[in-house]
Amino acid sequence: MPGIETLLIGTLSLYTAGIAAAFLLPKEKTPVLPALFGGTGSLLLLFTGIKSFLPPETFHAALWTVPGIGTLTVSIDTLSAFFLVVTAIAAIPASVFAATRLKQTRWQHPEVAAALYLGLLISLTIVIIASHVFLFLIAWESMSIIIYLLISSDNNERPGYLMLSIGEAGTLAITAAFLLLSANTGSLSFAIIKTGAASLGPGVQWAVFLLVFFGFSVKGGLIPLNFWMPGAYTAAPAAFIPLIAGATLNMALYGIIRVTGSLLPIPHAGPGIIMLIVGSATALIGILYATIEDDFKTLLAHSSIENAGIIIAALGAGSVFLAKGHLAAASIAFAAALYHLLNHSVFKTLLFMGAGAVEDKTGTRSLDRMGGLLKHMPWTGLFVLIGALSIAAMPPFNGFVSEWLTLQALLRSVELSSPGIKLAFVAAGVGLTLTAGLAVTCFVRAFAMGFLGMSRSDSASAAKETGKPALLSMAGLAVFCLALGILPTYVIPALNKTIRPLTGASATTALVPGFFRPQGKLPEAFVNDFHKLGAQIGKNSMPGRGLAVLHRGGTKNPVVFAMSTFYMFITLIILLGLTAGLVRLFAGRRRKIRQPRWDGGVRKLLPEMTYTATGFAHPVRVIFESILRPKVVERKDTIAEHFRVTIRQKRNEIHLIDRMVLNPLDSAAHRIARTLAKMHNGRINTYAGYALLALIVFLAIASII
Amino acid sequence: MSRWVIKGIRTGIVTTRYPEKKEETPGTSPGLPEQVTGIAPENRETESRCPTGALSREKNRLNLRQERCIHCFRCSRGTENPIPWKNGFEWAEIRNPEAVVPASLRHSLHIRVVDAGDCGACLNEIKLLNNPYYNMHRLGFFITPTPRQADILLVAGPVAEHMKTPLLKAYEAMPAPKRVMAVGACALNGGVFGPGFVTGSGVADILPVDIEIPGCPPPPLAILHGLCLIAGQLKNEPNAATGTRKGEK
Amino acid sequence: MNIQEIAAEIQSRWNNEIKLSTIAGTLECRCHREHLVPLCGWLFNRLNCHFAGLTAEELPDRWNLDYLFTPAGESGIIRINTAAPLKERNFPSISIAVHAADWHEREAEDLFGLTFEGHPRLGDFILHDDAWQEGVEPMRENFSAADVLSGRNPKPDWRPRRILKAPGAFIMPVGPVFSGEAESVHFQLETIGEEVLRAFPRLFFKYRGVEKLAEGRSVDNGLLLAERFAGSTAFSHALAFSMAIEKLSGEEVPPRAEVLRVFMAELERLRHHLGVIEGICSSTGLAVGTGQCAILEEEALRISGALTGHRYLFGLCIPGGLSRDFDKTALKSAAERATDIVRRMNSIEKLLINTSSFLDRLEEVGAVTEKQAHDFGLAGPVARASGYSCDTRKQLPYGAYRNFDFDSPHEREGDGYARLRLFFAEVRESGRIMEQAAEKLPPGKTAVPCNPDAGTAISTAETPRGATWHRIRIGTDGKIKRYRLITPSFANWHGFHIAAENFAFQDFPIILATFGLSVAENDR
Repeated sequence: MPGIETLLIGTLSLYTAGIAAAFLLPKEKTPVLPALFGGTGSLLLLFTGIKSFLPPETFHAALWTVPGIGTLTVSIDTLSAFFLVVTAIAAIPASVFAATRLKQTRWQHPEVAAALYLGLLISLTIVIIASHVFLFLIAWESMSIIIYLLISSDNNERPGYLMLSIGEAGTLAITAAFLLLSANTGSLSFAIIKTGAASLGPGVQWAVFLLVFFGFSVKGGLIPLNFWMPGAYTAAPAAFIPLIAGATLNMALYGIIRVTGSLLPIPHAGPGIIMLIVGSATALIGILYATIEDDFKTLLAHSSIENAGIIIAALGAGSVFLAKGHLAAASIAFAAALYHLLNHSVFKTLLFMGAGAVEDKTGTRSLDRMGGLLKHMPWTGLFVLIGALSIAAMPPFNGFVSEWLTLQALLRSVELSSPGIKLAFVAAGVGLTLTAGLAVTCFVRAFAMGFLGMSRSDSASAAKETGKPALLSMAGLAVFCLALGILPTYVIPALNKTIRPLTGASATTALVPGFFRPQGKLPEAFVNDFHKLGAQIGKNSMPGRGLAVLHRGGTKNPVVFAMSTFYMFITLIILLGLTAGLVRLFAGRRRKIRQPRWDGGVRKLLPEMTYTATGFAHPVRVIFESILRPKVVERKDTIAEHFRVTIRQKRNEIHLIDRMVLNPLDSAAHRIARTLAKMHNGRINTYAGYALLALIVFLAIASII
Repeated sequence: MSRWVIKGIRTGIVTTRYPEKKEETPGTSPGLPEQVTGIAPENRETESRCPTGALSREKNRLNLRQERCIHCFRCSRGTENPIPWKNGFEWAEIRNPEAVVPASLRHSLHIRVVDAGDCGACLNEIKLLNNPYYNMHRLGFFITPTPRQADILLVAGPVAEHMKTPLLKAYEAMPAPKRVMAVGACALNGGVFGPGFVTGSGVADILPVDIEIPGCPPPPLAILHGLCLIAGQLKNEPNAATGTRKGEK
Repeated sequence: MNIQEIAAEIQSRWNNEIKLSTIAGTLECRCHREHLVPLCGWLFNRLNCHFAGLTAEELPDRWNLDYLFTPAGESGIIRINTAAPLKERNFPSISIAVHAADWHEREAEDLFGLTFEGHPRLGDFILHDDAWQEGVEPMRENFSAADVLSGRNPKPDWRPRRILKAPGAFIMPVGPVFSGEAESVHFQLETIGEEVLRAFPRLFFKYRGVEKLAEGRSVDNGLLLAERFAGSTAFSHALAFSMAIEKLSGEEVPPRAEVLRVFMAELERLRHHLGVIEGICSSTGLAVGTGQCAILEEEALRISGALTGHRYLFGLCIPGGLSRDFDKTALKSAAERATDIVRRMNSIEKLLINTSSFLDRLEEVGAVTEKQAHDFGLAGPVARASGYSCDTRKQLPYGAYRNFDFDSPHEREGDGYARLRLFFAEVRESGRIMEQAAEKLPPGKTAVPCNPDAGTAISTAETPRGATWHRIRIGTDGKIKRYRLITPSFANWHGFHIAAENFAFQDFPIILATFGLSVAENDR
């Protein structure tokens, strides 16, 4: 295998070549070939990431020196490598998916769309590998602007503007944080910042943390800065949204981990608690709005918010454990966070592809107007089902493993001593458990209302299966969903390479103990221990690696929890096979009769007589009415008092964040503008007065300093 | 809540012992006309009073077709020659002996009731099977809301035109083996409504009936007897002339 | 305003254009079609008269429409009659002014092919559009009831009318085959989930064409239909039928039979109401309460069975009296057993009103206001629970009711609990009436022969569910020419939706139970 440098150069060259191809190639090949350049480049990117893992070594390269700023450097440590792999896993299928769809964007010239798409891939790569503040910020900004260009369209500019404006505020905060760091360490290079950061005063540490958390929260969709996200994700064209949702969201999390985990690990629990609480609150609010959402894409956007919340909560828990010296627990929490991040990229990319395919074939994103799509789009349905099962944390799929790890990590809070921190963990645990429950409701509803039952609109009943490239990319991701779900014992040791530098402890030891890994004989003492716990593993042989994920406890109770998702899967397959076999054996010769569903004997069950997505979510609406605060407007039109012609009911739900953050901000801005407008009275002597006043103020400040 | 428990306990057991013991409490059944002999052939007054043709003449004997009797009492009231009535309720008749439930399954049968134009009396009597007095659960009969789980389709009413489709759909929705029980004179032959533009002449028009329970309405005990017969919990000893049978475990 | 005053007022308002006559407490107004709407609207909205029903009839030379009203709080009947040549099929609709006439006009439209101009909801009603082709008019003279129609050609693309316009709105279909042993009716509950925003009962799955079947039958055979179209209130309907025949024959029913009829009618009411209370308990999932009420209901049935021979009092009431006589001691012991039932019911009531989980499901659930009760022409206990006074036994006393001391209980709230209380109160009153009847049973015959003359008669009786109106025309051959059945369930089903709407799904069966509705009585 070629060296990391070669691979990286290859990747970036392919991306650049793609951009060139977009403009140079004949029009008929335009969207397909550049996208394939993107796909091939991403494949190389995947190898780059994997290669950086084996053996774990930090790749470092100086690019060029900019006078006054220093030498721009890139480096790939295991953290960067992990994110490169995640990005590549999302980007490869996303490129295949995008190949057929780049024509259907707002850009009249598909070559521009293709170029932007590849530009996004380049900026993503550089964000991850940049090890210099200047390079990082340049890449970060170009990523933001490309996303803005991709999602804003002529007829709906609001989501784009909203994203850009709040995104710029975030970038400002990030810049300020880096400037603070470099002012105190004297360098813009990550490596020097990292060595100098430990000696910073607590005030600066806190300021950096808060600025960074605020700044990255914006892209990551954490409350209260996520109001741009549902609108922006919904407005994004189907070609781009899998990549945006699957890869760019991760950049925010990368930023947070890079700063709080690697550059500046704060040695007390405060930041971790903030992340834990904000994360779990984000998760709960995200899934709540996802559960009641009718627009399939908006639903997925809310669900992205939820998943970002889960990841941040796990990271927060990890930070707390780390600060309190519980290194093993911290490793578990970080493993949970990274695992979930990886999973989320996989299933969210998959689901957005499914949503895009469905929107393409039915012309609607409204779940209320879908139904029965499984008949018309069986493969899309299957893959969306796998994505939905994964995201709803159903075994044997991947979401189950990472959410289970997250909850298990939170349970480790029993080891902590401070009651206040324990309380925060309990609150977060409750929030995340509720989130997990709602997530099941949400995705049962999304799948059932979209794909099962009867078609509730003509466009849904006329839907056709989507194209092969899209199916292929979804199939690949679906396979990943299953693989990540049943082979966590192979994934965790890999993640461990990223985690160990962050925590200084091994997650593998905590989760996948060493004795599972060697083939051959087990230590006698362990087998005895294991038998005492009631576990049956055979006398002297463990059936190999990749078997169990185990939480090791203390000496009294050596195994807190152990399970094998792989065996679970095998058992499931065996049980299914047995059932099928038994049914065949005993009832195979019997006459089988297929009857339509029992409908109470109505002459004809019509699609309008079946549950809609809105109706399905109504109980959730009712239960969480105090959060959702719907304004119900009802109007009844009647003839002569009693003959009713129509009952109109409209529920107006302003999103909690909009209601509590955006709208007050908005009205405050208006108020300030009105006040300022009063000062602009157009009289020259008033303005002279302002100038004088300002001068006095500045002089006063200067004299005090 | 505890007061309800006490109330329930204080009420004691009111449930009938039928079919182990005879049930002869007054008011549990209207009974049926008896078969009479010795009526002069020219005296056709009694049978002419019968509005449904349940009484038929065979020389000097008056036979009863119990499935047609609607308990109008016109043969026993307001006439010179009233014919006596006989108590009893064991009127059910199995039309398809193969439909009797095999021994292994006879103590748990689920019933889907379909109202195919019933007047409310038959349905009320069916409802009363759950009454503490009759309590059909003790014999293993349960009313189920979905035909998907039903062993017996219990149909009352003359099958009104609009109910044909729902009735057929309910029948089709049942798992095999399907058993159909027609309850009440209307379900057996259309009763006072008869075949016409919106009513049929009974369930047999559109479904294969396995057991018939005459009566207008058949009292709960008669339906219970029918259920026990189709479940194979009783032996069928037809005695159509008097319309009575002995219960036997 | 009593009917004399109403007559005088009509005279002055319509300037003698409406022909008036008063026969035996019935004010008959013959008016031209153009006066129909203002006159009915004035009676209904200004004088608050109760709209009882509409009878359409095809006579050899003309259409004959009778609108029945009863004055508010006064005795008497107002019959508004209008006629038109047979080729004329359009009548003005009074439903805009008299909402209670809504379903009556739709029925006439469906079965006779008449058109009521201005009615906003004609079409699919009794004969379902998804089961019958257009143009079938079964109540017309030339349509034979015995014909079995073949070659149906229903509208293939029939869809239910939806009035709920809201994102995600859908119809929750219930029935026609639903629940354990429920009567066949199909509900379309429009909703956006959880809450019923519009309840639409699609009825007439059990339409048996009783009115058509009766045509051409002898009085005796007609009686069988009257008795057996709604078996749970058989005696009351047989009584109303018999009273109409008695009016035509001019025979006086013997006083002994009158008192016995009161006894039987109240026994039926007691038994019916116990069944309704049992239904309410069962709908709220109160198992012991259901069982206790069921015991009482069965005992009431056994009293009926032991006393009269038939548990549902079939074959008892005949024109001219009763089909059999009763022993005074038997009657007394029956009344005593009924009193015992009432006593035990009182103790159940005490338990019920102390069970808060039960009351929570009923209180403020399914409320109907007095105005709604009037506008929808509701009848019986349902109307009286809203404070709408409509007891035929008090307003148009028939038979021996004049001589009895009883109350017609009322409630004001109109919610499910008010209806429950009313059912309890009425059972107590029925018990009292039965006691009095057993006490004051006069000697004498129980029946007189009864041969009706040709003509038309209207009679009304208070069935357990409310007032029923039977209008019978006997032809010269002594056969029934036209039999019109106006039933309380028909009125109450019409108004049922106002109670069921804006409540959650799980309240729906409870509200349904508190209405004590019969589908058989409505569908006929």
